[in-house]
Amino acid sequence: MTSLRRIWALAAIPVVSILLALLVGSLLISASSLATSPSLNPLLPLIAYESLLQGATGLSFIDVTGGAITFNPSIKPDQAARALTSTVAAASPLVLTGLAVGVGFKAGLFNIGGTGQVLVGGFAAALVGGTVAGQPAPVAVTMAILAGALGGAAYGFIPGFLKAFTGAHEVVSTIMLNSLAAFVIVGLVNDIFKITGPSFARSADVGNAAMPILFGRNGNLGILISLILVVLVYVLIYRTPLGFEIRTVGANPSAARYAGMSPRRLVVLTMSLCGMFAGLAGAFEILSLGYYPAVFGTSIGFSGITVALLGRAHPVGILLAAILLGAMQAGAPSMQITAKVPIEIIDVIQGLILLFLAAESVIRHALRSRTERVTPGEIGTVSRSYGDSTT
Amino acid sequence: MHKRSLGLSLVGSLAIIVGACGTAATPTPSSSQAASQPAASASAPAASGSDAAPSASTSAMKPIKVGVVTDVGQLEDKSFNQSSNEGAKAAATESGGSHEVIVTKAISDYAANIQTLIDADFDVIVTVGFLIGTDTAKAAKANPDVKFVGVDQGVCVDEAGAPDGTFACKGDAATLLPNYQGIVFAEAQPGYLAGIVAGSISKSGTIGAVGGTNVPAVVNYWRGYENGAKSIKSDIKVLYQETDPDPSKGFNDQSKGKTIANQFLSQGADVIFQIAGLTGQGALEAVCAKDGAYGIGVDVDQAVSLPTLSKCIVTSAEKKLVDTVKAVVLSVASDTFKAGTVPYNAASDPQAIGLSAYHDNAALITPEIQAKLDAALAALKDGSLDPCAPIKCTVAGS
Repeated sequence: MTSLRRIWALAAIPVVSILLALLVGSLLISASSLATSPSLNPLLPLIAYESLLQGATGLSFIDVTGGAITFNPSIKPDQAARALTSTVAAASPLVLTGLAVGVGFKAGLFNIGGTGQVLVGGFAAALVGGTVAGQPAPVAVTMAILAGALGGAAYGFIPGFLKAFTGAHEVVSTIMLNSLAAFVIVGLVNDIFKITGPSFARSADVGNAAMPILFGRNGNLGILISLILVVLVYVLIYRTPLGFEIRTVGANPSAARYAGMSPRRLVVLTMSLCGMFAGLAGAFEILSLGYYPAVFGTSIGFSGITVALLGRAHPVGILLAAILLGAMQAGAPSMQITAKVPIEIIDVIQGLILLFLAAESVIRHALRSRTERVTPGEIGTVSRSYGDSTT
Repeated sequence: MHKRSLGLSLVGSLAIIVGACGTAATPTPSSSQAASQPAASASAPAASGSDAAPSASTSAMKPIKVGVVTDVGQLEDKSFNQSSNEGAKAAATESGGSHEVIVTKAISDYAANIQTLIDADFDVIVTVGFLIGTDTAKAAKANPDVKFVGVDQGVCVDEAGAPDGTFACKGDAATLLPNYQGIVFAEAQPGYLAGIVAGSISKSGTIGAVGGTNVPAVVNYWRGYENGAKSIKSDIKVLYQETDPDPSKGFNDQSKGKTIANQFLSQGADVIFQIAGLTGQGALEAVCAKDGAYGIGVDVDQAVSLPTLSKCIVTSAEKKLVDTVKAVVLSVASDTFKAGTVPYNAASDPQAIGLSAYHDNAALITPEIQAKLDAALAALKDGSLDPCAPIKCTVAGS
């Protein structure tokens, strides 16, 4: 019973935030119907969410015919298999970028550099993948993925090092490093690593280094690796001395120093680890695509912030949050063609979730809840002023 | 390139608003302005018989379910996404069928978006932009019963019919993927016609062209323009500048477009052709600010899409996206679908390229100039005129 209560204490705010976001989202969807139909359609949110759910899981609960709604739960097995595969495929990079932010929170670090780390990891994977394209698949895939992990880790190391030894705040340095990565890589692809043949600038094909498909159309190896990493991160953070040190530094750097730990070492290590997760996410994205296009851009780095906050920086929470966001992504196309609701509504709902998460104290008050803070608070890390430093 | 905007406010306690992914449209070399007027584009003055109805006979038409997957960005981009969608929608309506569209938010979503339409039993799937070509080819191979139309896509496959990463393109796309047509446009042709206009109305003997990024489409427009102008005045000076080698900037930098155009104007240019999307809009603004200077738009009738600048836009070098996509989709309904990479040009039916109406500046185009344009268009149609000669349609020009 106590453990259930503990889980509720942790999950209450995220769950309420999601529900509130869906509620406000439904008002917006209703309002959007004014633009496409002559009158307000109050049923549109229901249809939209239903088609979103169906696109993400294959489950359907209602039938809508001519304004009448009948409750009719049904499932098409083959559609469900495809839909669920798409959901977990979309969730797996978000798990990784969620970990890239969440593990940082544990050490009191706010890593907004996921985007840059994703791009560097993806680019490194594309370069190595292009080079080993002719090797046997197991070798090629392993090398390309390792390159992505190392590239991301190296790009996470930089802000970690700057923070540890110069005090440069990681929020500022990672934001700047995001732009740096984006523009340098565009330049490199356009000028140096461009291949001849296609009508647009892109890197060489990764050939045998392409992401192996384990099941369905897009159930790739990255899903398995992400799941394994969730378990490993859990063990690392909660079951190893290093994890204890990371958490201690996050909770109280001074105490950590008095206890003989080295906050500098831990900051560098944690940021590199965060970068590695994001780099892997980038590698999986690019190796699935098969090449690095100069115009490549992705929002998974920033979505990682939502995932980490929603998952309360806990590996299991991050996994669940990533699945939720992945489901929204996987269901969005079906929502567009069934309910004709613009895809932008998905971004709006995700933004609303963040907004309500950020308004934690307001929600807490509204719930009059006993959901007191049970973690040092990743929100605290986000909101802490730039002034203090762990060094 | 998709620019993600991160609005991060750490003021006070906290307020994070991440997202608002302002995904700038993928820089199709021709991202420019509205093509919402198929009627206007069909009345291109240089075209003799441009508004020929799609050749498909309506009697043998079956109702088709048409789905569109856009390129990354917005549906209402006043360019490729919007025009392709309008063409597809018009075809679906004409066949008595239905139409839906899925807007793509990230490159990694292409395949899933296509698959959603396949799962929903669409007959024809139109995909927009060269980047989605690989996923379109894969889907075409896996779903032989569904027809695929790729806008701005050259189909390149290996002997097995799979997308060819080495770009050797050894496989015969039309045979291997008989359900997939890639639409490509001959940009040099409308460029050539625009060059005739520029060469004829220029008084100074100097004209300019502002390119976004030197991707093939832009270079084709530019070199065609140069050849067209030189066919009128062999000693005419054609200034050209690429805005930026990075397409995310090259096609989106309005202020730089203005700067380049002003520089050309100060060098004596009095006609400027924009081949640079939003950048080019800045160039047209600069032209409008100067008396006696004229601009030429690109891809769609920009005098219509940019009404405030219409007084100084003589014409636009158009790709008739709406008409072309509509005709290709209708060819499925009438069982006259052609597979493989199909080049669309002056000789296509309906005519796929041409100049837009002259609107406010019709007085500039004298009957003599019009006669030259008509002659050039006829020669482009019968193939006797190569717009990529004598200057080749490459950056080097030789």
